[in-house]
Amino acid sequence: MKTNIKLAWRNLWRNRRRTVIAISSIVFSVLLASWMRSMQEGSYDSMIDNSVKFYSGYLQVQDTAFWEERTIDNGFKASDDLKSKIKNVKDVTLVSERLESFALAADHIHSKPAMVMGIEPEAEDQITKISQKIKRGRFLKSGDKGVVLAEGLAGYLNLNVGDTLVMISQGYHGISANGLFEIIGIMTHPNPDFNKRMVYTDINEAREFYSASGISSSLVVMTNNHYKVNHIKKGISQILPLENRVMTWSEMQPELVQLIQSDRGGGIIMLGILYVVIAFGMFSVVMMMVKERKREFGVIHAVGMKKRKLSIVVFLETIMIGLIGCLIGLVISYIFCFYFYNNPLPLTGEMAEAYAQYGMEPYMFFSMKSSLFYNQMILVFFISIFISIFPVTNIHRLKITKAMRA
Amino acid sequence: MKIIEISKLQKTYDSDSVPVHAVNGVDLSFEEGEFAAIVGPSGSGKTTLLNIIGGLDDATEGDVTINNVKITELSSRKLTDFRMHNIGFVFQAYNLIPVLTAKENVEFIMHLQGEKKEARDTRATELLKAVGLGEMVNRRPSKLSGGQQQRVAVARALASKPKFVLADEPTANLDSKSTENLLDIMERLNKEEKITFIFSTHDQRVVNKAHRIITLEDGKIISDVRKN
Repeated sequence: MKTNIKLAWRNLWRNRRRTVIAISSIVFSVLLASWMRSMQEGSYDSMIDNSVKFYSGYLQVQDTAFWEERTIDNGFKASDDLKSKIKNVKDVTLVSERLESFALAADHIHSKPAMVMGIEPEAEDQITKISQKIKRGRFLKSGDKGVVLAEGLAGYLNLNVGDTLVMISQGYHGISANGLFEIIGIMTHPNPDFNKRMVYTDINEAREFYSASGISSSLVVMTNNHYKVNHIKKGISQILPLENRVMTWSEMQPELVQLIQSDRGGGIIMLGILYVVIAFGMFSVVMMMVKERKREFGVIHAVGMKKRKLSIVVFLETIMIGLIGCLIGLVISYIFCFYFYNNPLPLTGEMAEAYAQYGMEPYMFFSMKSSLFYNQMILVFFISIFISIFPVTNIHRLKITKAMRA
Repeated sequence: MKIIEISKLQKTYDSDSVPVHAVNGVDLSFEEGEFAAIVGPSGSGKTTLLNIIGGLDDATEGDVTINNVKITELSSRKLTDFRMHNIGFVFQAYNLIPVLTAKENVEFIMHLQGEKKEARDTRATELLKAVGLGEMVNRRPSKLSGGQQQRVAVARALASKPKFVLADEPTANLDSKSTENLLDIMERLNKEEKITFIFSTHDQRVVNKAHRIITLEDGKIISDVRKN
């Protein structure tokens, strides 16, 4: 084997320029493919992170009936023991209770349906960063009796900080709910729809309003990134009582998953085209290698090297070109993407405005998910194996006398 | 002792549906230690005959028996093994492996035979010394002249300790000095080591050195002369 490797290695460099060109084409293809995929996945990561931080969180623990019928009657009592167990699941960084329902919000003239979100202010702020979105007044503190209103709703009702908001609703198990709330702050919600109807209040105040003592509609569970969600779900599922279930962001937002999947599909088609180009490039190099050495193959076989061994040498040459190209491409791609991971590309003009409108940072983010890089390597490696079928078949069909006349 | 026996050998090519008999009913045998030349005009069938003797080409009819083994009946795989252990080849265009040094080219066949590194090293050095290239063992073919490359090819042909060496027009690309030098080496190896050499050639200098001259014409032997 050592001699085969030595022969293959030296053969590779007998036409240095051609080998360098072949390797360079692989390097640039891997770089382009990795960069494309890193940018694509980075933008998905950003979309997911923004989306979970708008509302859903990475995971939610709910009553099994809540997601299908999101009423306060399908809330549950989250014991301290359960919360502490969830907090102890690996990679969970935060657990926050919510009680969400609807109410008719009004001033003395206008009224509008609103979404009331009872929150643990300090914990919720770590999830949705509401305090950073306050336009007027201040954000909630635990024990506050007032509310923070979304700017759109406040504008519609013509209310401001210090004014009183009237809310009428149906409480827990049909009890009527009504109350007057001082407006502590007005915030801009990044989601335009939420901006027209959100009312935040302390969870205990919400429970009192809805006569739902100790009831939560969900426990929002946070982690560092969405890649950890599945194993956290598995961990939480093992400790949940039968009446509860845990849902991931992707189960709660299937439309986002669909959007990502369809976009990813487009990217993969582009990648496929790129790899077809790589494959043809490599194939032409290997074909030239084989054609110009046909005579040599004939001689080597004539003096006693079996076709199988000869095939191994040529196979190794093809694989070596692929692997060298992949490895160099991988290192350069990693460095390149790492730079953009730390220095995302700023967006300008209308695109930047659109991002900002949705509360997203106007940057093109990059992902450093390791599979993005080694997948390119595995792909090119398989392309090399596939291409090596040509020289191997050619050697198998070799006729010494014909080859030596070549 | 006969090492090669050829009986009723025929090789026919179907060229545009007109059969061409490159070798046409050849009966021939070679003794151990012969220094024989097969001569004849271009297209007379010299190279084809040599290729069939060497197991590089198939015969249409007839048999070639080498050391009591009918090579015309061997499978491709067994034939490759047989060639490696029994036959040395010297080609017109040297055909050394360009990425290996002179010594590595000589060692190559021994490596295929599974010889140990020390044995390969010793024999390759000895053979290259024997062909006068003891100082150039580490040069690649591109750094050797045509004559030097052909001498490496001779050393390579002898590396596997073959029963005989087939040399197809070995001097065709060489100048007179290199030809003289190469023929002297082959003649010495034939005399001292009793190695059998069979040439196909146009070269009168080879014919002059040969002890037996077989003349082919249209695939048939028209004369077979032994010199005293």
